[in-house]
Amino acid sequence: MEGQQSPATAAQGGPGASLCGAIPAPAGHLAVGCTRAPCMGRAGLGAPEGHSSPGDVGFGDSSQLGFSRSTQFQPCEGAVRSVSCGMAGEEDFFLEEKRFRQFCEEFVKHSQQIGDGWEWRTSKDLGDGYLCKTHFQVRNRHIPPDLKEKNNDNAEQILFAHVEEPSDECQAAAVCGTEETVRYEYHVLYSGSYQVPVLYFRACFLDGRPLTLDEIWGSVHASYQARLQEGPWDTITQQEHPILGQPFFVLHPCRTNEFISAVLRGSQEQHRHTNYITLWLSTVGPVVGLNLPLSYAKVAPEQSTAVAERALS
Amino acid sequence: MTDDKDVLRDVWFGRIPTCFTLYQDEITEREADPYYLLLPRISYLTLVTDKVKKHFQKVMRQEEVSEIWFEYEGTPLKWHYPIGLLFDLHASNTALPWSITVHFKNFPEKDLLHCHSKDVIEAHFMACIKEADALKHKSQVINEMQKKDHKQLWMGLQNDKFEQFWAINRKLMEYPPEDNGFRYIPFRIYQATTERPFIQKLFRPIASGGQLHTLGDLLKDVCPSAITTEGGDRRFLTHCTRCSVFPQNLSLR
Repeated sequence: MEGQQSPATAAQGGPGASLCGAIPAPAGHLAVGCTRAPCMGRAGLGAPEGHSSPGDVGFGDSSQLGFSRSTQFQPCEGAVRSVSCGMAGEEDFFLEEKRFRQFCEEFVKHSQQIGDGWEWRTSKDLGDGYLCKTHFQVRNRHIPPDLKEKNNDNAEQILFAHVEEPSDECQAAAVCGTEETVRYEYHVLYSGSYQVPVLYFRACFLDGRPLTLDEIWGSVHASYQARLQEGPWDTITQQEHPILGQPFFVLHPCRTNEFISAVLRGSQEQHRHTNYITLWLSTVGPVVGLNLPLSYAKVAPEQSTAVAERALS
Repeated sequence: MTDDKDVLRDVWFGRIPTCFTLYQDEITEREADPYYLLLPRISYLTLVTDKVKKHFQKVMRQEEVSEIWFEYEGTPLKWHYPIGLLFDLHASNTALPWSITVHFKNFPEKDLLHCHSKDVIEAHFMACIKEADALKHKSQVINEMQKKDHKQLWMGLQNDKFEQFWAINRKLMEYPPEDNGFRYIPFRIYQATTERPFIQKLFRPIASGGQLHTLGDLLKDVCPSAITTEGGDRRFLTHCTRCSVFPQNLSLR
């Protein structure tokens, strides 16, 4: 995300400039806690006033959040708009499952063209499925205590290098020799109950030991710092994967529909094709270390132009 | 819903007599006796087993104890499923008491969610309630409630207070008179034998012609392989949870 933009200007920014329009977060409203790493199993991290209970995790749950919205949305006359929720003033842009699959298909096609590693997996029993990507990342292990004592200054430098300059990871790792490969797995599933996509993820070392949420945060924390003030409210909990039945971490972007609706409305008005999955994933992915190359934003509908346009109108 | 109060009470107060035994490889300072407990069907293992934990920790050294987890005949038990569901899935054909093995080491990371505090259970419980209301009322009823109402649902469950719970839950089980039912029925069909934990789909209580759908209609639509005409023992156990409380007889309304 590029900064404090109103949804309208973000949409006009053109596909290359910004992949999404962010709702400016109210001042002082922390998204995922940057004062300390979230611990596993806790929801509702860094809660603003009035939003205290971990039981308040929910999708599109803005009426539970204790702050008032700083951006006013225009009511939309588009045919796709569903009934306004009233209470929170939400005007939701629901994603139907078949459209979800169409957007995923388009997304995977582009991923294949640029070698970005996404694929669609269909479940054998019921024919539903999900987007999936695995990638490996080398990360620094914590400096062992004896090294710390011997080279106090060096260790500090190395630690800082890791946190502030992730690109220097390899250099730092070479210096202290404690690099480890981590396997990250990201799944995008469709929630029929909320009619939004949901991001599931997990990570493990090569020996199979899973990373805890703290450990995952250690590696994405720095790069997300810049986005904390701007992103929509996010929480992470551990949940059972609905198709595989295994524990995954799940990102619950509250108010998904709000920020998605704002941008998609802009695209609609300009008769521009926007892939919902690209828009959504480019917004929520960076929270958990998942980045999309900008070329996704330039994807134009191919022969499916008519279908895709109809999907948004 | 008021005429179903007897059914609601029966479900709420349903209990499963359980015998907890410490896993034999856990290291103890003296022999650990089994611990017997009546488990509420509608609650969660980690919410109702504080006494079990205390009982076994008495015979163990502090350093041998990490996160508790439960297992039945080699299968780790998912604490985030209601107890009655776990029993129906894994042990419904066996003699009572239900024998559960207690572990304090080697937490099965690939099978079980962590449960480091009661807050985690509350968050999970409330997420289920909210998802059910998203299906029933497009989240309107749950979102209009105050935080204290949400808390009352949780406290009612935690403290086994039927009236306290249903004072709030009844609002989640109502619909305007002009509608004929919920928007969609919140349901899940669990099978012990599949990798997929449950089947959940959008399903309306009223057919397009206006007639009420029955449980049979739902099964036919969602899980047709379950209602074959071949012989064989296919049993459907309806566990009424707070996400899908409706009478066991035919109508889904």
